Amino acid sequence: MKLVVAVVKPHKLDDVKTALENLGVQGMTITEVQGFGRQRGHAEVYRGAEYKIDFVPKVKLEVLVDDADALKVTEEIQASARTDKIGDGKVWVLPVEHLARIRTGEFGRDAL
Amino acid sequence: MSRGKKFVALTLMTFVVIVVLGAIWGHKGGDPTGTASTAANSYTNVFQGGVQAGIPVSQVGINQLATSTGGAGLSVNFVWVLITGFLVLFMQVGFAFLVTGLTRAKNAAHMMMMNIAAFAVALLAYYAVGFAFMFGGLQVLSLGGTSPLSGMFHIASKTNGGIIGTHGFLLQSHGSYDVGVMVLFLFEVVFMETAGYIIVGAIAERISFAGFLLAEVCMGAIIYPIYGQWMWGGGWLAHLGTGPLSLGHGAVDFAGSGVVHATGGWAALALAMVLGPRIGKFNKDGSANAIPGHNIPFVVVGTLILVFGWMGFNPGSTLSAIDNRIGVVAVNTLLAACAGFVLAMIITDTKYGKPDISMSCNGMLAGLVAITAPCAFVAPWAAVVIGMVAGILVVYSVEMFDKLGIDDPCGAISVHGMNGAWGVLSVGLFADGTYGAGWNGVNGTVKGLFYGDGGQLVAQLFHVVVGFVWAWGITWLIFTIAKNFMKIRVSEEAELEGLDMPEFGVLAYPDFVMHHAAAGHVTTDAEETPNGSPRTVDLERS
Repeated sequence: MKLVVAVVKPHKLDDVKTALENLGVQGMTITEVQGFGRQRGHAEVYRGAEYKIDFVPKVKLEVLVDDADALKVTEEIQASARTDKIGDGKVWVLPVEHLARIRTGEFGRDAL
Repeated sequence: MSRGKKFVALTLMTFVVIVVLGAIWGHKGGDPTGTASTAANSYTNVFQGGVQAGIPVSQVGINQLATSTGGAGLSVNFVWVLITGFLVLFMQVGFAFLVTGLTRAKNAAHMMMMNIAAFAVALLAYYAVGFAFMFGGLQVLSLGGTSPLSGMFHIASKTNGGIIGTHGFLLQSHGSYDVGVMVLFLFEVVFMETAGYIIVGAIAERISFAGFLLAEVCMGAIIYPIYGQWMWGGGWLAHLGTGPLSLGHGAVDFAGSGVVHATGGWAALALAMVLGPRIGKFNKDGSANAIPGHNIPFVVVGTLILVFGWMGFNPGSTLSAIDNRIGVVAVNTLLAACAGFVLAMIITDTKYGKPDISMSCNGMLAGLVAITAPCAFVAPWAAVVIGMVAGILVVYSVEMFDKLGIDDPCGAISVHGMNGAWGVLSVGLFADGTYGAGWNGVNGTVKGLFYGDGGQLVAQLFHVVVGFVWAWGITWLIFTIAKNFMKIRVSEEAELEGLDMPEFGVLAYPDFVMHHAAAGHVTTDAEETPNGSPRTVDLERS
């Protein structure tokens, strides 16, 4: 099992969700996060004084998938979250050691 | 005595004093029912002689008509002044939205509490003594009715005007329990409140609540009323025209660019200087950091509510619905407001790359403040010019106070102080002689420099300079002394945490998590940091 983690632009979340649903993904978890990458935030002027917005609002998305599906899900997120503009975010995959469904007590792939 | 017992004793004493004075003064000499006020406008008074002169029976009907018309005129004035007074009262809501929106979420409950407490405390101070100091010697009510307010302390002779009023304490002394006096009180107390909330904008996010209450009591009892008496209560500044100097029509301030706004603005300046800047506002090299407000929609809503309230502030200042100039006053007010907004919007766009919303709103308020003194005396084109200058002035003034190291979170000093002064001067430039016949006892209409009366501009200069010296000076004096006896600024911990919890034990937004990007994340190397290391002022609580 793998955990696919992606940080995407908030307004692309609906597109990503729809794309993954169409792919058959059963569940996902999202968090509102803030951060910066190579673009390093941006500067604005408020009442004559400049200030820097370092952390830009993003959405972090976590999806548990079977090993065989990980690459496909990753590619689908890349395709659906892309705007070709700076700040589109990242997607990465982590191994999952153990997985259980709390209500039924199912283990491993059954719990997906 | 414990703090609690002291408080109970003080409250009981106040209660006893009010009951005793109220019973002693009663309503002797005043007109609490309103019948005498109506009679004052009856034909027997309007046409000198009346019944005593033996009016033929055939004229009785005409005379009765004259009486009822006079009574109706009085009632219309009462209604006009009360309704415009209610509009000015609504400006309280606008100020609350504006200043809370322009400050950080961690102080929002504190800002709101200051706004409503200012209202209650300053109103009672004005009721007890402020109103009597200001209007106790007004002599004539332009709305009609009887005039029990006839006590004034003079310096030399009556033609020079007085320096303080002496009738109308607790709205009852010397027969001031009177229908006309109550109408005047309602209209004037909401003006005083305006000067009272102006200071909130400049002292925000660092003043202690106790220090703030002291400021409001002083505003309601001393700072505003005494200066107001010099201008509006038959005082010496208004009589510069009839005195030995013969300057124009004396200092003229139709609805209070100087009396209300500059007084509030300069008092705010003195307080901001005594308090010092917020932690993190200025860097060691003196450059200013931006500390963005937490709710721009509040700022816009507040500004629009203030525009609406100003429709009472300026047109109501005729104190008479029978004065047909009210339409000109209202339109001039709107023209200046919009001109101020547009200019501030254009300048911030040119200077900073984007139109600054809060500064554009400040521009609209600057236009309103500036047109408040000249609104009845100038032509529409002049109202637009006055508003445009105000919109430019406010942007550069905010930058200037940042450079001077004076922290004014909401731009109160620039909007109300600087533009109040500009508005007062603009009367002396643009007054076109179509209004103000016999103003302040001087024959002819009010004319500015461009219409041939340079003396008027000099009188306006007196108003600006005396107003600054009084409002800034007395506030600075009171608080320079007071800070030795009480805490006028909150502790550093409280300021960093936000004032809501340390001062009131409640949060404005307990169920929300604030976002750094939206609410201002300030990293600073400000001098206040004890160990010299950069500190992060964090908005997030949970």
